[in-house]
Amino acid sequence: MAGLELLSDQGYRVDGRRAGELRKIQARMGVFSQADGSAYIEQGNTKALAVVYGPHEIRGSRSRALPDRALVNCQYSSATFSTGERKRRPHGDRKSCEMGLQLRQTFEAAILTQLHPRSQIDIYVQVLQADGGTYAACVNAATLAVLDAGIPMRDFVCACSAGFVDGTALADLSHVEEAAGGPQLALALLPASGQIALLEMDARLHEDHLERVLEAAARAARDVHTLLDRVVRQHVREASVLLGD
Amino acid sequence: MLQKREKVLLLRTFQGRTLRIVREHYLRPSVPCNSPLCPRPAACRNDGKLLSGDVTHYMVPDWKVVQDYLEILEFPELKGIIFMQTACQAVQHQRGRRQYNKLRNLLKDARHDCVLFANEFQQSCYLPRERGESMEKWQTRSIYKAAVWYYHHCQDRMPIIMVTEDEEAVPQYGSETEGVFVISFKNYLDNFWPDLKAAHELCDSILQSRRERENESQESHRKEYPEHLPLEVLEAGIKSGRYIQGILNVNKHRAQIEAFVRLQGASSKDSGLVSDILIHGMKARNRSIHGDMVVVELLPKSDWKGRTVALCENDSDDKAPGESPSEPMPTGRIGDLEGEIATILVENNISVAPFSEAQMCKMPVNTPENPWKVSPEEERERRDLRKTHLVFSIDPKGCEDVDDTLSVRTLTNGNLELGVHIADVTHFVAPNSYVDIEAKTRATTYYLADRRYDMLPSILSSDLCSLLGGVDRYAVSIMWELDKTSYEIKEVWYGRTIIRSSYKLFYEAAQELLDGNFNIIDDIPEFRGLDERSRQAKLEELVWAVGKLTDIARHVRAKRDLCGALELEGVEVRVQLDEKKNIRDLIPKQPLEVHETVAECMILANHWVAKKIWESFPHQALLRQHPPPHQEFFSELRECAKAKGFFIDTRSNKTLADSLDNANDPDDPIVNRLLRSMATQAMSNALYFSTGSCAEEEFHHYGLALDKYTHFTSPIRRYADIIVHRLLMAAISKDKKTEVTENLFSNKDLEELCRHINNRNRAAQHSQKQSTELFQCMYFKDKDQETEERCIADGVIYSIRTNGVLVFIPRFGIKGAAYLKNKDGLVISCGPDSRSEWKPGSLQRFQNKITSTTTAGDSVTFHLFDHVTVRISVQASRCHSDTIRLEIMSNKPYMIPDTELLHQSAPLLKSDLVKEVTRSVEEAHLAQEVKGNIIQEDFQKYCQTKGRSLYTLLEEIRDLALLDVSDSHGI
Repeated sequence: MAGLELLSDQGYRVDGRRAGELRKIQARMGVFSQADGSAYIEQGNTKALAVVYGPHEIRGSRSRALPDRALVNCQYSSATFSTGERKRRPHGDRKSCEMGLQLRQTFEAAILTQLHPRSQIDIYVQVLQADGGTYAACVNAATLAVLDAGIPMRDFVCACSAGFVDGTALADLSHVEEAAGGPQLALALLPASGQIALLEMDARLHEDHLERVLEAAARAARDVHTLLDRVVRQHVREASVLLGD
Repeated sequence: MLQKREKVLLLRTFQGRTLRIVREHYLRPSVPCNSPLCPRPAACRNDGKLLSGDVTHYMVPDWKVVQDYLEILEFPELKGIIFMQTACQAVQHQRGRRQYNKLRNLLKDARHDCVLFANEFQQSCYLPRERGESMEKWQTRSIYKAAVWYYHHCQDRMPIIMVTEDEEAVPQYGSETEGVFVISFKNYLDNFWPDLKAAHELCDSILQSRRERENESQESHRKEYPEHLPLEVLEAGIKSGRYIQGILNVNKHRAQIEAFVRLQGASSKDSGLVSDILIHGMKARNRSIHGDMVVVELLPKSDWKGRTVALCENDSDDKAPGESPSEPMPTGRIGDLEGEIATILVENNISVAPFSEAQMCKMPVNTPENPWKVSPEEERERRDLRKTHLVFSIDPKGCEDVDDTLSVRTLTNGNLELGVHIADVTHFVAPNSYVDIEAKTRATTYYLADRRYDMLPSILSSDLCSLLGGVDRYAVSIMWELDKTSYEIKEVWYGRTIIRSSYKLFYEAAQELLDGNFNIIDDIPEFRGLDERSRQAKLEELVWAVGKLTDIARHVRAKRDLCGALELEGVEVRVQLDEKKNIRDLIPKQPLEVHETVAECMILANHWVAKKIWESFPHQALLRQHPPPHQEFFSELRECAKAKGFFIDTRSNKTLADSLDNANDPDDPIVNRLLRSMATQAMSNALYFSTGSCAEEEFHHYGLALDKYTHFTSPIRRYADIIVHRLLMAAISKDKKTEVTENLFSNKDLEELCRHINNRNRAAQHSQKQSTELFQCMYFKDKDQETEERCIADGVIYSIRTNGVLVFIPRFGIKGAAYLKNKDGLVISCGPDSRSEWKPGSLQRFQNKITSTTTAGDSVTFHLFDHVTVRISVQASRCHSDTIRLEIMSNKPYMIPDTELLHQSAPLLKSDLVKEVTRSVEEAHLAQEVKGNIIQEDFQKYCQTKGRSLYTLLEEIRDLALLDVSDSHGI
């Protein structure tokens, strides 16, 4: 079998999308009543669940408390059944820790932490199915969950990945495209201001192409914002209907 | 806007588990249709290449058509082709990158009127694969659905023809939709492009090649060899008689097809099989190679071909050179004498490294300053024959390693005493000393055509152990007391002695003395410098001894002939000659009676030693057996003789020898020689064995008609003789009731050793034969076949094969195959002037003749023992050693021009041939040295820097490239 053709001559990707098209995004907020905020998101076949508690008093050692702002505590885990091959440990491995730190960075930049000094905000994210772009799915889920919890933020944080194949930037890589081994860039954007909350890329990419890939990722993040905004509005409408009557 | 669907793939992981993978699949309402008839080009976003609108129809090839007939679809005449994405993916996944790139280029090429339609991403064309539906069916269904959609999309204005190779699809979809036709590819070409010859031809050739490939893949599938059976099954099968064990021999002339399993003694008797088993074809041979011990199972009689069930333990010792890392690979240019000889040595696993320091330091010395002397202790131990016995040796001229001497004298009681004195090698070679171990490894002295590799260091082999004239030497003697008239053996004495050989005679001189021709004495160095009287006395003494010896030998031989079956004419002598001088055997000199006398004495000594050691050590003596031959091997001999009108009776060795003597054609002496060599070939080889390992009746030596036989008389060049010497010494000390000091081998160890020695002997024979062939090839290599008279010779046909004859050339002692049918399938034909030509025709083989008939009706017949004229050439090869090739030039005997008759009447002996080749090699070396000198002079003349300049390097490279090997051997 010849190598997989990630982008055909006609401009179709393996799953039938064109270069700039996102996968299908479906999301719901408030999936758990017990938590302060919760959300569930599907980006294609990548599925993530986010739960937010707080702001509340510092739990555990009080010395961790910050005098001027809230402590954002993020924990990432992925279900053992989330990947093709069953995983051994659902959390606590290096990759999970790293992902947790990245999420914390992202949300410390987005949440108005100075409004809640000496308190703590917990964000727990779990990936139920990993089919590419787990970071993006986690950020998007966590954004919805934080919104659901009513914690004030500067803006939505919308994340999306982008890759680069045959001189073309591809938005929102699927697992097949990720596994092919090309460069992959993860971007978390505050869409209103256009500020970048987090930008990460592991592979090598020529400087000349970076801008195009970044541009593709940013456009995709904006598209995500549109969709998430729609979800939030829908949720608020439903909630207000329930509250109002 | 996009519709998400999911595709489920089932993949197999490396661990073999099944993995269920879900992939997304997005469908869209519109994909570019690239047709000018599209009603909504904006929605379709048609950009880039469009189909032309002026065709009569659009053609949609099925996936199989795209895979197999892409070359035809590339014809620019074929227009309006829509490749469906499904078909393209089938090409990509099943035909590989090359084919797929070809398709991609075709689609990109603006001159070709074809487009791709991404049907799988189109909402209404996409069909999910149904459960249980085969991939092929689903692909055809998808393509048809897409074709229908496309037809409707173009508002039914353009008919679409789907071309498929699927037989079922034509009736299934053919009439489903109006305007979308489904026909086969062949049909399509016939109907729409009847004039496109090239396409039709291409289609046919593709069809044919596909069929061939299918056959081939089937065949290659069938070619896989069945597995060898496990050892336990084999052992049980051999015991129960279901399987038969034997040694595989591949037919040299039809190596691809024919091989035979030669049965081993016991099994053939049990199963009542009388002949070899034919193994037909490579598959039945099942990976075994020539010389392997194999186990075969007989097929039912109707098939009558054997199949190799399994390789038994591979007994053959010959390793491929690559397998033994310690063995240095031979290096040298192909065609270079030294390189080729080294190759022969490696091929036969012969290691001839010079003796090491450690081995040599234990050796006694014999230099003019420090001469070797008989030690007083030994003098006490040994019987001193120096004063009492007249000891002399008879050997070929120029022989260095004299290992046997003879003596005869009259005892005081009037009886005769015959003595055979053999060099006492074991005195110098202690068991398990370094030299002993080395000699054991070598097992024999190797005689190649132009050189020899000694088993023992030369200090022993040509000096201290060599029973030279006029010096004291240690010996092991056997002395028989014979009755003065009847020569009846009365008593035997074995023991260690000290001798001084008085004369070192050579065969011809001894024969002259025997014949009473005393002119020869000038050639005998021992007689020089003596005064007339003492010379006369000594001469008389010697002549009496030689005469008596001959008399005794004659008598012993006659007695041996009488009490047992008659001896087959000089078989053992011939085999011994074979071990040393192969060609001389085929061009025998007139045998002298002295040869026979010496041989007879040696046989007598060997026989008595065999008796002695067997009596003393019935289970661990080393003897030599010669098993009786299989009668079926004689069938070829009988057939050949019958062709000439002789009858060969092979029932016993006596009848065989008699009938061979009778089969003599007075006009053609070669016939008898050929018959004899065929008889020799039909016999099994004589082998060493340990007496503990087989029954007493198997000890028999067929060729010599003796019940027990061993090798005792040549310890310098055979390791078996050294063992026998040690056994004899042990037997003597046993008789004296003294402690047996020697460490004797147990039966098992001895058996192992015998196998090793037998193997080494075989290697020695092989290497000798190969080196002879090498010299023959080198001799003929540089001869210009057209002009050189020596390349044309007279040959005798001695065997008939289906596609040619085997020819023996007496003049050079060459045997080889001459084909009557060449590689182009032409057969030989002889015109009225009996010159041969190649013409189309056929061959017909009979029992003792072969007829070649040309299509024109001429025919020529070759009978057994016909004389023909052959041209000898060398078939060069880079991967095998060169081989002699024979070509029949005429069916008449070759007539030597009268002028040359004189110096040609004597056959060219091998030694001459060797000399000539060696000389030419030396000349070539010399020529190169001269060239080197010239360059040196040039250096000085032009004040060139010495050493390796780039120029010399380049020149060397040029030399390497251009040096014609054949030139350097030119004579």
